[in-house]
Parts: sequence; structure tokens; C-alpha cells
Amino acid sequence: MLAQFVARGGSADARNWAFIWFLIGVAVVVTLSRTPSQFRRHVVTAFTFSAGLLYVLSWLWPKPAGYSPSQIPVNGVETAGAKIAEGVTMMGSILQVIQGVLLFLGVYSVLRIHGGRLTKMRKDWQYSAALLVAMFTMIIVGYWDFRDSRINPNVVSAENWGFAQYAKDFLFDGLLQTMDAAMFSIIAFFILNAAYRAFRIRSVEATVLLATALIVMLALMGGVEYASGEFVNRVTRDDPGHFFNNFSLTAIRTWIGAVFQQPSIRGLEWGIGIGALSMGLRLWLNMERGLSS
Amino acid sequence: MIAQYTGGEQYYGTNWMQIVLVLIFSIFIILNIRRAEAGKRSGKHIFIRRIAGLNAIDEAIGRATEMGKPVLMVPGIGTLSAVSVQALNIFGHVTRSAARFATPIRLCCADAAVYTVAQEIIGEVYQSEGLSERYDQDSVQFVSDRQFAFATGVSGIIHREKVAAAFFLGEFFAESLIFAETANAVGAIQVAGSTQNTQTPFFIAACDYVLISDEFYAASAYLSRQPVLLGSLVGQDWIKMSMMAITVLGVFGNSCERAFTKATEGPDKKVYATPRTKSASELTMTKFVSIEPVPEDMVPKREDKPSETPKTEEGAQ
Repeated sequence: MLAQFVARGGSADARNWAFIWFLIGVAVVVTLSRTPSQFRRHVVTAFTFSAGLLYVLSWLWPKPAGYSPSQIPVNGVETAGAKIAEGVTMMGSILQVIQGVLLFLGVYSVLRIHGGRLTKMRKDWQYSAALLVAMFTMIIVGYWDFRDSRINPNVVSAENWGFAQYAKDFLFDGLLQTMDAAMFSIIAFFILNAAYRAFRIRSVEATVLLATALIVMLALMGGVEYASGEFVNRVTRDDPGHFFNNFSLTAIRTWIGAVFQQPSIRGLEWGIGIGALSMGLRLWLNMERGLSS
Repeated sequence: MIAQYTGGEQYYGTNWMQIVLVLIFSIFIILNIRRAEAGKRSGKHIFIRRIAGLNAIDEAIGRATEMGKPVLMVPGIGTLSAVSVQALNIFGHVTRSAARFATPIRLCCADAAVYTVAQEIIGEVYQSEGLSERYDQDSVQFVSDRQFAFATGVSGIIHREKVAAAFFLGEFFAESLIFAETANAVGAIQVAGSTQNTQTPFFIAACDYVLISDEFYAASAYLSRQPVLLGSLVGQDWIKMSMMAITVLGVFGNSCERAFTKATEGPDKKVYATPRTKSASELTMTKFVSIEPVPEDMVPKREDKPSETPKTEEGAQ
């Protein structure tokens, strides 16, 4: 049923459908913007509920075991399950389109803020100029490279590279990725700084934290861990059943991880999961009013 | 011959238990929302314990107002989801207080959809306060959807504008400590909360106040005291209590089963003369909450669909 609405990428059908849906989208946006906000709210609520219902149905409806979309379902229940799965895929595509459109708004925000700062020569306009030059250079070079690869697919191999490919490689892998990595590496210094402040003995909690962290850190240092193991072996005379085996640094670290860390993390994850369920239900059933209203 | 299983993989064996639990939990939440609404009509109030991070919101805004510096808000780098909507809800409350004192705000987004919703919410707050003229459209901005480009952009704003208060609420990843330490370097009061447990320790180490786990979701109930939100919070508590009960029951049940019953069938399905202690995966309570895949030999044999030749234009891929 849904297959007739799905055209193959790049086909004439796909382009026709894209154009028709674009017109429908524009018509919907114009109509909604001219309707009273009360009515608009009802439309949004109905759409949210229907979209949510599809996901709830896909979760509740019996999922065919080991089924792939290239197979024919064996009975009515499986057929309905396959249709719901198709609907969920389609909903994912709709979301992608919406996010693509919204990206333009994001780019518009960048252009408005930095363009305005540059044209009015406000404070720090130089940074805005650098940002806009970098952004447009990347867009132009990226599109140039994309266009080349469409015209001549062989251009993807390095020996056939032209100016656009070298420029994109320099800008993306040579600069952007490297700068990303540099920014990531800064975290190491920030961790040190934050740890120094957190581990200062100011309270009972900070002292417990310091002691625990010290044990875990020492247990992860190869030399210290070896020395601790050797000491324990000497005391226990290599008897694996000896009670003192529980006091090697590795055993204490494992115990801290299994008895304190894991259950705490599970508890926190439970809280987050339940909160998300509650929030999701409120959004789906239109109970969420927000704090701004 | 082994029967084919067409009942749905989420209902196979004891897999149905997970669906039943989620349905029961959803009923808990909706039931308590109704109870809270009825309670409000009859004048009953629901108590929520003090959450330090949320009490600090007014203190942080007051400090920013005194210093004449902006309040920074970052809803994380996640896409539009329940987490980012919740973060924006809290930012709506922060903005309301900031708007009343004419304190400038900066809301930086890493996702275009979140940016669009944030603009709507912040604009609506100023409008509802009757302070539309104070709303600066540039105060809500899309910085970049690339993780470290976003981190760099926000750090730049923190340094250049010397923000007095910073709110980091939402989905954060490796950039969390970059934000927190940069804001700490300029002396900003920081309130943070992430649904990513890996980032919470970083926030605890570097920020003044941290919302841990479901405190993040409890924030809107705490700040607004709306019956719907309070009710769902009570529902969440019911769920936690049920889970605790199930855990205790599971531990007790599994311990008893292991102590008093033995298995005679081995993992190879053969029956042995000497009974053995059951392994963890064989215990009834464990089975109830474990996902069991449908065995290969029970998957129905299906025919392949006939292949379709796509209609394409000449030269199109």
C-alpha cells in the first residue's frame, strides 16, 4: 500500500513526487499560518498523536521473527506488522526531510548574526568574518567536489584527484578534523584541573571520593598493580582460597566497580528511563504544557 | 517437526513481560496525573523535596543582573527529543526570570530543530511577560551541528562575553567538560544536568550545582508545581517502588530456587542422573526479565518478493 508512495531515488517519479509534496508542504504551511492559533494547536496535537500512535503500534503489534522487507509475510498479522514497519520507515524519512529544511533556518541564524556583526563592524567582527569565509569556502569546495564525483565517478580514487578534491581534503581532513582533534585533546588538561578541585579534601564526601579514586587509579597502574599482587601472593603463599586475596588492588577495584559503581549507574539510568517515559507520555497525549506557557 | 512461530518476537517466551511492565508503568503515570488534578481541585498539595540546583536558578540570575553580564544556556548537542524539550522547558523558566530583570540571555543550539523550538519558546516567554521589546532575536543562536565546532563556538562566547551564569542541561558528551571548565575559568555560577551518565561525574567535578538522573525530569514539576507534572512525578516514584519490590522479589525468588531446586537437564538438553545447581539464566525470575530470541528453527519459512526493475531517467544513478 505504502510502496506506491515511495519512488526510487533519482528516478523521474521521485522528482515528480518531490515537487508535488513540496507544493503540498508549502500549501500546508501557508494554510496553518493563516489559521487561528487554537485550531493550529488541534492540528499539531492530532499530528503528534497519530505519529506517536504509529510508533506505539509498531512496539505492540507482533513483530515477525527474522523477517526482512524483501520477503513475503506468511499471514495477516505479519502483513500488518510489515505495513506498520513501512510506516515507521516513512515517518523516519519525513523527519529527515523536516530536519533538512530546519538546517536552512540554522544556517540563516549563523548568517544573520555574523553577517550583521560584520556589516555593522561590531565588537569581534573579525571572528565573524573568519567564520563566514570558512563557511562559504567549505560550501563551495564541498559542492565542487560533489559535482565532480557525479560527472566522473573515477574521481574518488586519489590518482584522479583534481583541484576540488585536493582542496576539500586539505580543508576537511587537513584542517577541520585536525582542529576537532585538538579541541578534544584539550579535555585532558580540563580533566586534570577539574579533578584537582573535586579531590581537595573539604568534606567527608570529597575524602571518600579521593580515597576511592586513588585506589582505582593505583589499580590501573601496571607497576603498582603487579607489586600489590606479588605482596598478596607472598602473604597467602599462592593459595587461591586464602581470604587475603580479596585485598589485592585489582580485587578491591573490581569490588568497587561491581558493588558500588554498576548498581549506582543502573539506578541513575533507571531514573532517566522512567523520566523519559513520563515525558514521552505527556508529549504524546498532549498533557505537556511547558513552563513558558 | 518444530512449529513455526508467528506470534511476534516481542511476545515469544517471557518477552511479553517487558511490554506488560511498561504498560503498567504508563498506567501508574496517567493514574497519578488524574489523582493530582483531582487533588488540586480539593486543595491537596504534593510535596517535592528540595533540589539545590533548581533553587540556585534565581541566585544565578540575580548575580548576572548585578554584574550586568549575560546568562548562558546550552541544551546539549542532542537532536530534538524529550531531553531537549525538557531542557528548553527549564530554560523557559530561566528566561522568564531574566526577562523580568532585563538580564541578557544567550541560548546556543547545536541542532537546527532544537534551535527553531528554542526560538519559539523564548519569544513566547518574553511575549507572555509583556516584554517583547526586550527580546533580542540574536540571543538564541545556532552555532554548529559539529560537536567540537560547537564546543569551540560556545567557549568563545563564554570567554568574550564573560557570562555570569551558565546552565548546561540536556544531552552532553565529550564537550561537557570544555563548557564547564571554560565557564569556571570566567567565574560563572554553573548549573548542569545531563542524561548521559558518563558526563555527570565531569559536571559534578566542575560545576556548582548538578541535577542528577531524574532530577532533570523533575525540574519542571519543581519549578511550576503544575498538577500534571507533579502527578507524573508521583507516578515515577510508584514505578521506582515497584521496581525495588520486583528486585527484592527476584533476589529472594532466585535464591530460594537455587537453594531448593536442582536441574537434571544439561545445557545440551540431555537428562543426567546427577542433579546440578541451576545457572543464573535458568532461574525463573531471571527468565521473566530477559529477552529471549526466537530460535532459528522456529522462524517461518517465507518466500522472497519478486524483484522490481526501477524506472530511471537516462544517466540517473
